[in-house]
Amino acid sequence: MGCASSVADRNSGRTASLNPDNGGAVDPKNLKVKLVLLGDSGVGKSCIVLRFVRGQFDPTSKVTVGASFLSQTIALQDSTTVKFEIWDTAGQERYAALAPLYYRGAAVAVVVYDITSPESFAKAQYWVKELQKHGSPDIVMALVGNKADLHEKREVTTQDGIDCAEKNGMFFIETSAKTADNINQLFEEIAKRLPRPSAA
Amino acid sequence: MRRPSNFAFSTYDSFINEVQDDASISWRKRKKHFFILSHSGKPIYSRYGDEHKLAGFSATLQAIISFVENGGDRVNLIRAGKHQVVFLVKGPIYLVCISCTEEPYMSLRGQLELLYNQMILILTRSVNRCFEKNAKFDMTPLLGGTDVVFSSLIHSFSWNPATFLHAYTCLPLAYAIRQSSGAILQDVADSGVLFAILMCKHKVISLVGAQKASLHPDDMLLLSNFVMSSESFRTSESFSPICLPRFNPMAFLYAYVHYLDGDTYLTLLTTSSDAFYHLKDCRIRVENVLLKSNVLGEVQRSMVDGGMRIEDLPDDRGSRSGAVSSHLGQPGHATYSSERFDEAFLGVGGPAGLWHFIYRSISLDQYVSSEFSSPINSRRQQKRLYRSYQKIYASMHEEGIGPHKTLFKRDDNYVLLCWVTPDFELYAVFDPLADKALAIKTCNRVCQWIKDVENEIFLLGASPFSWWTDPGNTPLPEFAEISL
Repeated sequence: MGCASSVADRNSGRTASLNPDNGGAVDPKNLKVKLVLLGDSGVGKSCIVLRFVRGQFDPTSKVTVGASFLSQTIALQDSTTVKFEIWDTAGQERYAALAPLYYRGAAVAVVVYDITSPESFAKAQYWVKELQKHGSPDIVMALVGNKADLHEKREVTTQDGIDCAEKNGMFFIETSAKTADNINQLFEEIAKRLPRPSAA
Repeated sequence: MRRPSNFAFSTYDSFINEVQDDASISWRKRKKHFFILSHSGKPIYSRYGDEHKLAGFSATLQAIISFVENGGDRVNLIRAGKHQVVFLVKGPIYLVCISCTEEPYMSLRGQLELLYNQMILILTRSVNRCFEKNAKFDMTPLLGGTDVVFSSLIHSFSWNPATFLHAYTCLPLAYAIRQSSGAILQDVADSGVLFAILMCKHKVISLVGAQKASLHPDDMLLLSNFVMSSESFRTSESFSPICLPRFNPMAFLYAYVHYLDGDTYLTLLTTSSDAFYHLKDCRIRVENVLLKSNVLGEVQRSMVDGGMRIEDLPDDRGSRSGAVSSHLGQPGHATYSSERFDEAFLGVGGPAGLWHFIYRSISLDQYVSSEFSSPINSRRQQKRLYRSYQKIYASMHEEGIGPHKTLFKRDDNYVLLCWVTPDFELYAVFDPLADKALAIKTCNRVCQWIKDVENEIFLLGASPFSWWTDPGNTPLPEFAEISL
């Protein structure tokens, strides 16, 4: 824990749509970042967000329509705060064409798959490619294998996840929104990897 | 459509889907089936059973349709014993209803139209292009997760009069309360929002359209069904593409949806895909005003108090001295208020054997119906009453009928009295033994009552139609003699 290394001073491209208005001035102690969740339907994107933002888990799955918007602020040990403005996108095919609307200008992309579903892992790789092609060049990407509590049904090995993440320069973690395992760690790790504006 | 294994089915219908196909007896016993299929015979949606298991059945339906089409004709209706099979062809998409509910053809066809438009609301009509590219295109993945939207719409065919009246209904509210919510919505609409709609369940609190933009009641029905049946809207604010089929079936609008409390939700529609933050700001402004002027509190109160109750029908035209007496939501029922929801409320019936009424204002595109009262207490009775209305509505709207029409019909269950004028339609249900002259007199009193409280039960002035004028000066037509 502690200070994250400064990777880049650039502010991720904010020319595009659906970006919060930061009012120009960027306070290095109080960051505000746009985060988008992508992944196949039913992998638990909304559950991850609701666990992180509200500390809740609802086992009755509610299909997301379009995209939901939530925000949550966390404090890091170096006394900086990071406010995540989260776009939780719908995984259904009909919304795929709209994804750029939500990931354009995002500083962070969290690509989620379900460890019990190889199809969702393939879909995650599709999103990674899509983001590499069309996302901000300095976007922070995380690969998340969710439903880690269902280990007896696991079909995607942890190593596969690690390999895929390494190949694409992503941060990798396995989570369980149900048990809350690694959910806060996911967002804390992301926060540490964010490019910091220079304190000059 | 594909159903993820962890999907929690919220309806009994969907649960049944897991076990039924067209060979199972329980599937065949269903009273009312709805199917959507493609012109190549591929299943798209089925109310009961898994579409994929119904591929053979779908192909049969497709064969019937194309056989008739090849003869240069079109199949609309097939009768087979107690069953009616109703067809609707919409380009490459076929819709079929198989029913033994004895509903009129016109009603069933109207239901298929709504089902089609519900699909257009989700996908726009540009989905037709997929079929131009590939005639065997499989549409089910595109509708993933929307099963519940369709099943909730189909359910509303048996309880929501809006589905056949093509009108919307308002939550009863004091005029000033509705005005203040309308004012803030207008304010928001002036800042580039196409439509601002504030609703509580399926009832409108207020709605405002940008200049010249008008919202069709069917679109409102389909939009509110979509929002209410999609649980995810309740968890957080959402931004989603949505098509209003009667507004522009080819284009997506963007809907910002936010629940202000458990039942009340604000929908802001825009043509701009990057307006989210603006709409979010708009919502915050609206919410602040609504909280300050206690609109949300009044909405909750109205939900508890309910709407027009036939027991409260004022005595006679003359006794209007105190305007207050004809207001809604006045004390006098306070003792009931805790148990007044739905069938829990046991009224005593209205004067002259009046049991229930529906009044539809034509210029406003709105209707009001009385609360259910004794003896229409159970869901079954309510559904039967609803079907009677539906039937009588269809017969009053058959083609080639003049602007004025009255009907007095007595059967084993009810006396039904209908009165259709260019301005409004009144459908009233009485005790089967009700006296005709008295029933007519009572209908006149109902019309007068509605006029007295119209600024509480209807959204006036803010009508999407600009030619609306205050009816205050127009004399109320008298429902005098009826020719049978």
